[in-house]
Amino acid sequence: MATERIKSEITGTVWKILMAEGDAIDVAAEIMILESMKMEIPVESPVAGRIQTILVAPGDAVDEDQDLAIIELD
Amino acid sequence: MKAAVLREQNTPMEIEEVQISKPGPREVLVRPIAAGVCHSDLHFLDGSYPYMLPTILGHESAGIVEEVGKDVTYVKKGDHVITCLSAFCGHCNKCLTGHLSLCQSPEVSRPPEVESRLSIGGETVHQFLNLSSFAELMLIHEHALVKVREDMPMDRAALIGCSTTTGVGAVFHTAGVEPGSIVAVIGCGGVGLAAINGAAIAGASMVIAVDMVDSKLELAKAVGATHTINARSGNAVGEVLELTKGGCDYTFEAIGLKATAEQAFQMLCSGGTATIIGMIPVGTMVELHGVDFLMEKKIQGSNMGSNRFRIDMPRFVDFYLNGKLHLDQMISKHIKLADVNTALHALKSGEEARHVIMFDQ
Ligand SMILES: [Zn+2]
Ligand SMILES: [Zn+2]
Repeated sequence: MATERIKSEITGTVWKILMAEGDAIDVAAEIMILESMKMEIPVESPVAGRIQTILVAPGDAVDEDQDLAIIELD
Repeated sequence: MKAAVLREQNTPMEIEEVQISKPGPREVLVRPIAAGVCHSDLHFLDGSYPYMLPTILGHESAGIVEEVGKDVTYVKKGDHVITCLSAFCGHCNKCLTGHLSLCQSPEVSRPPEVESRLSIGGETVHQFLNLSSFAELMLIHEHALVKVREDMPMDRAALIGCSTTTGVGAVFHTAGVEPGSIVAVIGCGGVGLAAINGAAIAGASMVIAVDMVDSKLELAKAVGATHTINARSGNAVGEVLELTKGGCDYTFEAIGLKATAEQAFQMLCSGGTATIIGMIPVGTMVELHGVDFLMEKKIQGSNMGSNRFRIDMPRFVDFYLNGKLHLDQMISKHIKLADVNTALHALKSGEEARHVIMFDQ
């Protein structure tokens, strides 16, 4: 099955995870919130499908371009 | 309390009734008197920087302490304060090595599992940069404010909360401009004008202002530019190189575009330093000629003027009151909170200096 890897656009920290593995997800739905330089930055899904894996946990430091989650496409 | 709530990018903010929590042990409730409408608010409004919604924008304000949490000793009810988005924890590696504006510690925010500082009918309203100043009240960490002299006018004080600190700080702290230096500043909005004013205070021998709007270039002269270049000619780099006979010691980019960031680097003399202050949209790459590094040309970012705002802002207040910092010209209009959308629209058009919201007393 085709999958899409969701990457971080910035260096920061995982603030809150809003969805769980197995959840159905729509385009532009928010998967998690990152915190960087005091900003609360949403990570939105560019695709519709189902969340296969969430690769990070709250409090984790993330780098730019790091994979955050994997979505199985509809 | 009333606040301007942003629910969707690129749509007008609506004035709504918002619930504000009680101060936690280290929090302070501030009643803003004045709030500047800053260009960075626009980046979040138009989505070039993503942010959690709903939120209340605004991050440049001055006001009076209304109530303090039980562990706060630094301020008391009635104190005049300027707020700052560079809230610092005070004990991380960045803070302890003197880089307070780079503090990333989340402890100045409320953790996601407790009641949010701002809400509407139980729904979280995401506080913007730990401040959210387009609102009648602000609940912030005690490390997000500084006490200031009471003879400082609040509307001018508000500007010190972001644009002054960002522009003057980039010159003083990030770049460390020495007396006699040749300086160019690209972009003459609030931050660019502050950088020009800062370069003049720092003793630069030449301060070249670059913009596409003549009225802004006039303002630039009023705050310390020695030369102006209208970039509509399409050859700002060439004109700067000719005027300086070989380039600048320091350049500052205060717009946030790939092209102008690259121009800031191209305007340098050997050994010069370009400082990028503008917020370049997420995902944009900046390209430089590698060979220029042989000339020891440098490029660096600056966030909120590499500030130590508890020290810097009271100094900037003194600079204003003794006539060195020109804030009067920066304010083009005083408005009401309800007119915030119009003010952001005016900023976008690029013709006007800053609008400052004055809250009803
Ligand atoms: Zn600002
Ligand atoms: Zn810190």
